[in-house]
Amino acid sequence: MRDAYLIGAGQTAFGAFPERSYRDLFAEAYQHACERVDGGIEPGDIDEAVVGSLGVGGRQLGLSGPAVTEHVGLHNVPCTRVENACAAGGFALRQAVQAIRSGMADVVLASGFEVMSDMSGDVTKYWLGVSGETEWERLTGTTFSGVYAQMASAYLDRHDATAEDLSRVAVKNHANGAKNPKAHLGFECSLEDAVGAPEVAAPLNLYHCCPTSDGAAVALLASEDVVEEYTDERIRVAGVGAASDHVGLAERDSYVGLSATETAAETAYDRAGVDPSALDFAEIHDCFAIAELLAYEDLGFCDRGEAARLLRDGVTDPDGDLPVNTSGGLKSKGHPIGATGTGQVVEAFDQFTGQAGDRQLAEPRYGLTHNVGGSGGATVVHVFENEEVAE
Amino acid sequence: MSRIESVGTYVPRYRLSAETVREAWGQFHGAGITETAVPGADEDTLTMGYEAASRALAAGSVDPRGVDRLLVATTTPPTEEEAMGPRLVSMLGLGAATQTRQLTGSTRAGVEALVAGTQTDQTTLVVATDAPRGSPDGEHEHAGGAGAFAAVLAPSAPGEIPAHADHVDPHPGTRFRPAGSAETTGLGVTDYDRSAFVETVGQAVDTLDIDPSTADAVALQSPNGKLPYRATGRLGVEADTIQRGTVVHEVGDAGTAGPLLGLATAFADGAERVLVVGYSDGATAAVVEDGGVTHTPTGDTETVDLSYGEYLRMRGEITSGEPDGGGAYVSVPSWKRTLAQRHRLVAGRCPDCDALSFPPEGACQGCHTLVEYDSVELPGTGTVEAVTAIGQGGAPTEFVEQQARSGTYVSAVVALDGPDGEQTVSIPAQVVGVDPDAVDIGDRLTATVRRLYTQEEVTRYGFKMLPAK
Repeated sequence: MRDAYLIGAGQTAFGAFPERSYRDLFAEAYQHACERVDGGIEPGDIDEAVVGSLGVGGRQLGLSGPAVTEHVGLHNVPCTRVENACAAGGFALRQAVQAIRSGMADVVLASGFEVMSDMSGDVTKYWLGVSGETEWERLTGTTFSGVYAQMASAYLDRHDATAEDLSRVAVKNHANGAKNPKAHLGFECSLEDAVGAPEVAAPLNLYHCCPTSDGAAVALLASEDVVEEYTDERIRVAGVGAASDHVGLAERDSYVGLSATETAAETAYDRAGVDPSALDFAEIHDCFAIAELLAYEDLGFCDRGEAARLLRDGVTDPDGDLPVNTSGGLKSKGHPIGATGTGQVVEAFDQFTGQAGDRQLAEPRYGLTHNVGGSGGATVVHVFENEEVAE
Repeated sequence: MSRIESVGTYVPRYRLSAETVREAWGQFHGAGITETAVPGADEDTLTMGYEAASRALAAGSVDPRGVDRLLVATTTPPTEEEAMGPRLVSMLGLGAATQTRQLTGSTRAGVEALVAGTQTDQTTLVVATDAPRGSPDGEHEHAGGAGAFAAVLAPSAPGEIPAHADHVDPHPGTRFRPAGSAETTGLGVTDYDRSAFVETVGQAVDTLDIDPSTADAVALQSPNGKLPYRATGRLGVEADTIQRGTVVHEVGDAGTAGPLLGLATAFADGAERVLVVGYSDGATAAVVEDGGVTHTPTGDTETVDLSYGEYLRMRGEITSGEPDGGGAYVSVPSWKRTLAQRHRLVAGRCPDCDALSFPPEGACQGCHTLVEYDSVELPGTGTVEAVTAIGQGGAPTEFVEQQARSGTYVSAVVALDGPDGEQTVSIPAQVVGVDPDAVDIGDRLTATVRRLYTQEEVTRYGFKMLPAK
């Protein structure tokens, strides 16, 4: 099986850009990604494109993939849109890796994009809500904030953690995002502010919830056969894992963990031949603060019930043993649904290639990205290795 | 001839006091009324009727499948066309061969339905449910309350109706509701209205050929809290006897259900023999003897006082209705397919691994294999496993109107008890009838049926959970 390597990644800023189109955002991300391929890349080099989006607010539900690739001159390049709600981008990357490993393609573009901020609040809520379980769960009056709040209620009931611990996730991620020029909410917040924010769905308050953003992100992958034509960097996709679970929370075996994340992570670690202790950083899907705590446990960073302690002890701070969401995460960097998964890869690329500015970690070797669809119905985990960094 | 086996009543928990209306309007036109009951934002005469009927069935020994007839009486059905009977049959688990009849157009319909129910040997469920409205500054709105009564009638039951009589005499303009209007009105010709009431009630009671003073209580139609007492002289009964069968002071005018709620209250108070009279363009009078009828207590829920602003919100007077943007579209045919689950919590048992699945479709939630489920009706009790209170802005579009009307609501994952009391199956459900901050993991709940949401003008009714008693 041929390995796939990350040769470039770029993104727009994440934020509210109501006057911009999804094509325009994609074009900027695409150009940014191409510019960051050391040896340069031509449109004709790209064999295949896989793009992720929830549906860009319904404005181009069908064929939004070709709509963006043709827009940037990737003429006649086969393009497929994948949809897995907020994990669309991460699954696009996984498809790109599959295309390379199968031998069907040597250079593949994986992307995600979304524009939501130009829509009225009601229409936005519609698009966010229809990825939950619509026939039963949504008809109890929940959107994702409600479902994650239910998980938080169960977690706080079972384990030694408080709503203040949830607020600590926001404080950490905002501190990181404040150093990221691409962040949607790139400002610091105090624990006091985070704790005192207005309630959205008890026990979650506004600072326990990420924003909805506009943006696009592009990752470029090459097979081991051609990677040297593009870059001397050796950022290998070491392991990929993905899994699904019931879309509705009530049907799941546990409300205090995502079994899809657990399974996806086991697979990714196994394929990469590492365990979580090998990781130097992780970009994880903190759509709600409770999601980051659950992910610490599902990804094996700590034992069940220990996530809040891990956070309080600073283990996941930038100077801790396992920095999490140096980009600011969904909470601060932002969450442009379909673009989030590939956006995580941009942070990984920045960290591996020493382009992370004030957020730069010291020579990371292994990094993980974790992208979740909905409340855990689909999860994809990638483990990357910078082969240039010695053991 | 059938007799009364059991009765059940339901009055919504919200109250609007005369004082609150007086503060808002400078006056209050609900004579003799202290406070009125107000349906919650997710309640209507169908859900109130369901509550009363399920209580009546639970109090007696009649199997819902053994009910032959369902008589529903209301002046305020949720839809002017599309009868309530078939939906109640589904919600209550009666048989599809049940004769359903809806009596409407008159506040007298409640007592009429009770009398009609006794006139055959069939097992009959009588439901009277009402929530009359009027113009905001008028007597009908100020007096208008809400409530429901249900009785199960069966041939060998204890509660007898030894005598009944009708007297009709049209009195145009006393009380009417024009086609297409939600507001009951009347011309307000005081002496004419009063004599219409006293005389037709009197004539019907005369026809009964009994001595009204032998009744332990008299339960009269009560458009307000004073009119019933105008009949003391004509009937030759004490005001106390009327008061014992009158609920209008604390519930408001409950239309078709009014005199029957009075009957139930008198029975609960120990009255043996009650004279009950429905009134509207005439009167229907009946003597009802307890003889050991089983009943659930009225007023068993804690009441919640509303401000006038909360009242206007709850009734949808100052809310915007369904917002633009649409909701998640659940088509009417696909909704119909799930009615057994929405109405009666019918789950599936896996023939292979014995686990319960809800809804009973797709792969078994226990062993993940595709199986043909055995149908299992759940008892409707359960325990909170996870819970949130959805505050302002957190509601999906279909629920924006519910939140505008009644504020923060509770959405939970509930482990429903299986029929054997050991297994559970988890469902998402709203928890209502309780302070939103007061629902915790581990709380015990019991199922009811409420309005979920309305899309394309079709209201979807389905289960919600109440705190267990």
